[in-house]
Amino acid sequence: MMAPEFFYAVVVIVISAFLALFRVLLGPSVPDRVVGVDTVNTLIVAAMVLLGAAYDRTIYIDIAIVYALLSYVGTLAIARYLQGGLK
Amino acid sequence: MSEERGMGIIVETIARATIPLIGIFGAYVVSHGHLTPGGGFQGGATIAGAGILFLIAFGLGEMKQHYNKNLYSILEGLGGLAFLGMAMLGIGVAFFYNTLWHNGPIFNGRPGTLLSAGYLPVMNIAVGLKVFAGLVSAMVAIASYRRWGK
Repeated sequence: MMAPEFFYAVVVIVISAFLALFRVLLGPSVPDRVVGVDTVNTLIVAAMVLLGAAYDRTIYIDIAIVYALLSYVGTLAIARYLQGGLK
Repeated sequence: MSEERGMGIIVETIARATIPLIGIFGAYVVSHGHLTPGGGFQGGATIAGAGILFLIAFGLGEMKQHYNKNLYSILEGLGGLAFLGMAMLGIGVAFFYNTLWHNGPIFNGRPGTLLSAGYLPVMNIAVGLKVFAGLVSAMVAIASYRRWGK
């Protein structure tokens, strides 16, 4: 069943992800861009869960879980690089 | 921050909690590769993400104590050999003939259950093992490569 209210929520989240993308594009420093990318990651996880509900497929939630776990590892890798570790 | 050390107590504690979670979820993706999205490569890359999280959070010195080059190379070869062995099982009919599904003793349950689809779950596990061992070995090799510094 295509529930329209889930699609409206996805549209709201995608608009806020584009607003966070402005910070990635014109953030003056590197940590600004990293925080922007992290925000976009979290919003995309929310959009994936909502789209899984909108298309009524529970197996789509698995991809959202994997994306949430691996985006954490990616952000951690950038943070480790910025503090000068693992030279 | 020294290059051999970890990232601090918060990141290390969160990594201790998260690494088993990522590993179990990657094993779920690998073992349900014939039922849900994902499969050998995706699940293997997810488990390798747990290894990369260990490397990042605890540092290279801790990783080198838990990493055995020979063991990981043996595991990678074993994954490839298991894939090839499953492909050779039905060589009496054809290469890649799914004899476990047609007349095998196991893995021929009702379609949609876990123990179905013939050789596909075993091949997914083999590919997952190979991808995990290969990616972790590549990351450790890249991390321990020194061009600058001492």
